Amino acid sequence: MPARPVIKRSPRVTFLGRAIAGNLGALIVGVKYFIDPNRITLLYPHEYIKLRQGYRGYIVLKMDLCISCSSCARICPARAMKMLPVQVKDKKTGRIMKKKYPVINYNRCIFCGYCVDVCPTEALYHVPYHDIVYFNMADMILTLEDIQKEPEFITAKEGVPVKYVYDEKRGLVKVAAEEEGKPPQQTEKSKEGETA
Amino acid sequence: MSGIQVLSDIGWGILHYIIFYPPVYQYVIIPGFAAALIIVIFIIWFERKAAARVQMRYGPLEISPRTGGATQLIADLLRYTVQEIIVPATADFLPFILAPNIAVVLALLPMVAVPMTSISEYWPIPMGYSLLIAVALSTLSPIFIVMLSWASNNKFAVVGGLRESFVIVAYELIAVISLLAATPMTGTFNMVTIVNDQLSGRWLGLLNPIALLTAFIAVLMSTSGFPFEIPDSESELVAGPYTEYSGLMYGLNMGAAYIRRWAFSVLISLVFLGGWAPYRPTPGLVTGYLVPSLIVTVKAIIVMAIMSFLRAVYGRYRLDQALSLAWEVMIPLTLAAFGISLAEAYFGVVP
Repeated sequence: MPARPVIKRSPRVTFLGRAIAGNLGALIVGVKYFIDPNRITLLYPHEYIKLRQGYRGYIVLKMDLCISCSSCARICPARAMKMLPVQVKDKKTGRIMKKKYPVINYNRCIFCGYCVDVCPTEALYHVPYHDIVYFNMADMILTLEDIQKEPEFITAKEGVPVKYVYDEKRGLVKVAAEEEGKPPQQTEKSKEGETA
Repeated sequence: MSGIQVLSDIGWGILHYIIFYPPVYQYVIIPGFAAALIIVIFIIWFERKAAARVQMRYGPLEISPRTGGATQLIADLLRYTVQEIIVPATADFLPFILAPNIAVVLALLPMVAVPMTSISEYWPIPMGYSLLIAVALSTLSPIFIVMLSWASNNKFAVVGGLRESFVIVAYELIAVISLLAATPMTGTFNMVTIVNDQLSGRWLGLLNPIALLTAFIAVLMSTSGFPFEIPDSESELVAGPYTEYSGLMYGLNMGAAYIRRWAFSVLISLVFLGGWAPYRPTPGLVTGYLVPSLIVTVKAIIVMAIMSFLRAVYGRYRLDQALSLAWEVMIPLTLAAFGISLAEAYFGVVP
């Protein structure tokens, strides 16, 4: 059903109506919010926004899946990703051979996610957080050991996960997100139970 | 006579003739400087928290999250006291230093002219024309804000002082007439009689709400409360007349406006809101002086909190809008309020 336009007579036509209706309306809205505040400020170290799985955060390499195709380094628009030649032992033949693996320079990375998209074997993936601090700029150029580890999510240790949802009456509202892990596991288990 | 006897006599004398000597007590303790300082600290905190609640923020919180950042203003005060006071080389030194202090001292002067009890022992001055004297004393302080802005020798300060002078000229007539609208109904300038008449329960604010409204708006204008925060508008002039001030001097300036608002709130609560109205003072220092003064203080705090709450709701008028509101709307309304008082006095609707 299409929305019907409702034509109201504005009380703000005359001067007195404008003065009374405007001031009273503003005061009523103010008192309403004073009694029932809707605070949307994120108290950052104590709260953090729980991001979803598809978020383009830090990039982690699964070294076993990498086929050294260099697609990620070639597609990188900021030239943050470089291929690093390393000596590795081949699993089948047992020979020592030279292979190239991607490493990343977070000074340059713009978190566009092209490298993750282009990877043919899904050896690269994003972690859904981005609040990580390095001590200096040299630390931001990751080594091959660093890029294989998921960086530590320190904010999650102290903070409470929250998320912003849209409420029809109150607009944007900050609510507590669910505890990480538990509800999705339960749903997976229930699905497994249904299928089995 | 033993030494202890002499010392205790001196102590009794200090207590009786200096601390509890009504003019000193009212100027320095309640409702004067000490109470004003505590209440100003509380009110600024309340103002920030209320504005934050309405505007979807938290306000001061991090310094003590359990109390909602209540100690933030004490920390600010400490910071102001240890900050360096810089006097610009181009400023006029003596007025630059003296004017804020005189403004604060004069802002508290109406406190000496108001009664806090109906017992004549504890009146600071003879109460015959106290309403007139209090209203007259309340108009002294803003001149020194114009003076300090002129002494700062800064463009922003001069423009802020100019706006302040415009606003002073606009509000003073409104404040004086609307406060004096109490006189026809009670037939006297004696504030004790005005308050004692309101012990019947018919407060002057209920009998003549228009006078209360105009007095309220005039106080907002005089102390740059929020719809009329024109002289020190942050986004246009850096800090208005107080641009060149730093440290404790800026704190004094900022406090002077709030202390003036506090003095006016006490006046309004005495004249329109019944003073110590539900309570009848009985002889004795506590029941005759402390309790009624605390009742007046609580009423004045409520008035001041409502004034501070408006910061959350209103934007800022332009100077010409505020002046046209003052001269074209408020002054006829104030005269109408005075006329209502006269009519009520004529028809016998008196407290």
